[in-house]
Amino acid sequence: MKTKFFFIIIAFLLAFASSLFLGPTFINPLALDDTTREILVNIRAPRIIVAALMGMALGASGAVLQGILRNPLADPYILGISSGASLAAALGIIGGLSIFGTFTVPVLAFAGALITGGIVGTMGWKRGGLWPERLLLAGVGISFLFSALLMLIMSISRDEGMRRAMLWIFGDLSMSDWERVPYGLSLILCGIAMSSSRAKALNALILGDDFAHSLGFTPQKERALLFVSVGLMTGASVSLGGMIGFIGLLVPHIVRFFIGADSRSLIPASALGGGALLCIADLLGRSLLSPMELPSGIVTAIIGSPYFLYLLRRKNVLSV
Amino acid sequence: MSSAYKPMILELAHVCFAYPGNGPLIDNMSFSVGEGEFIGLLGANGSGKSTILKLGSGIMRPSSGSLMLWGKDLHSYKNKDRAKLISYLPQTLDINVPFTIKELVSMGMYPYDIPPSISAEEALSLVGLSDKAGAQITDLSGGERRRTFIAMTLVQGAGLLLLDEPLANLDIKYQIELLKLLRKIREEKNISVVMALHDINMALQFEKVILIKKGHVLGFGIPETVLSEEHIVNAFDVEVKIMRQPDGKAYISYDEPLRHERRRG
Repeated sequence: MKTKFFFIIIAFLLAFASSLFLGPTFINPLALDDTTREILVNIRAPRIIVAALMGMALGASGAVLQGILRNPLADPYILGISSGASLAAALGIIGGLSIFGTFTVPVLAFAGALITGGIVGTMGWKRGGLWPERLLLAGVGISFLFSALLMLIMSISRDEGMRRAMLWIFGDLSMSDWERVPYGLSLILCGIAMSSSRAKALNALILGDDFAHSLGFTPQKERALLFVSVGLMTGASVSLGGMIGFIGLLVPHIVRFFIGADSRSLIPASALGGGALLCIADLLGRSLLSPMELPSGIVTAIIGSPYFLYLLRRKNVLSV
Repeated sequence: MSSAYKPMILELAHVCFAYPGNGPLIDNMSFSVGEGEFIGLLGANGSGKSTILKLGSGIMRPSSGSLMLWGKDLHSYKNKDRAKLISYLPQTLDINVPFTIKELVSMGMYPYDIPPSISAEEALSLVGLSDKAGAQITDLSGGERRRTFIAMTLVQGAGLLLLDEPLANLDIKYQIELLKLLRKIREEKNISVVMALHDINMALQFEKVILIKKGHVLGFGIPETVLSEEHIVNAFDVEVKIMRQPDGKAYISYDEPLRHERRRG
């Protein structure tokens, strides 16, 4: 197990480094001139760090959500949490809010994520328990509604600058700069640490609330804490680079296949796996049709889905 | 000699439970579980067996009445402390997660800050699953799954096991195997077991039974007394005869032989 975890760390570092140095222009870190240093430090580095952070947040969020909801289809995107975070952030940008300074957008996104999670959870709750089908349908419904509202806001917005400022909401990393990195880093690491510290409770919740209780946990409290960690990570991820699907849903399944189901290793490993995947996706998106750029969300889906479908043919992959 | 005295682990006194706006599911129920006792909790479907076990393990709170664990209010325990004394296993173990057996059994350590007295390996060997430690739960048979979770409760170190229909959906061979295993564990660890059942013949094998109907206790004590024909008719709404084997053991015979009906059809 430890060896496998070590391999995931190596894979993450390799993906991060190749995304940083490779691309339409290869940057040799040992022979930097003024131009390449400028590209590396002010364009590539913040962008790749943002990609890695978002991937980490989404991978870990997916692992946590699939566990607390006991549902293999749970992820921040499908449950509408990402679109709720985006809508709240977009409304804040339009309203010109800056109550929390540079933290305004992430705080709004975090609040949007929690509120949406609350709405979806309430709709999926019946007779003292969460009903997986209700929950997913509620999430899909909310997700469609909020995405439509977002597009509506975009299309009626007359201000061209505002429209462009909001494009990132649909998963565009090309506008990343250093400004967003510090809060993204702190919120996402905080979320990963928070969920990892509750990993035993998550294992117990996966077995069911009665089991969790019998093992000495308070199921509702643990679920709420874990959900707040998801809100932190998803909110931060959305405010860094908008909505990106696929990673939260599929990375935990792929990672589980390699290192097993124990949340204590699954959460950090899904974070690393998600980070690696989004770094590679961003590299391919920049390089394949250069100088045109493909959005990372599209690339993750194109490289990830066939691999996932291949894994699906093998047993025990599509399980929480 | 006061050999008859056994300390009570769990005592329910006048326990009632109802969901808000509904009639009582459990109505004025009192009974107690002593150390090392094996108790069958028998009743028809919907009679409240699961609710009693959930109340007894503290998952649900009674609307009124008291539950004492080792002489202290059950709900005054911290969750982790209670988990070291009581373990509850739900009826359905539909776990579709590829946890390994060893991982699951080790979860019994969760209430502890320092490793408990029995290791996952020992527990696995006690339930006869040592060779399956690395296997995934999703690949195991129903009987093996039960044994896995029994091993988890052993690591948890709880002296009282509350088992909801552990014999349901098991072939007779595995039912007997599981009962033998629990008896063996009692010999070694002096655990007490309360087990929900709906098979009357199985209940006759227990030292004590609680017979319930719609949240009421119809009888509590040795099966020969509690499982009278009159009580069984009342609890299950079927006509039965209590028969005796040559060695004196009782068994239930149903008044309407099913074979006749089939011939007629």
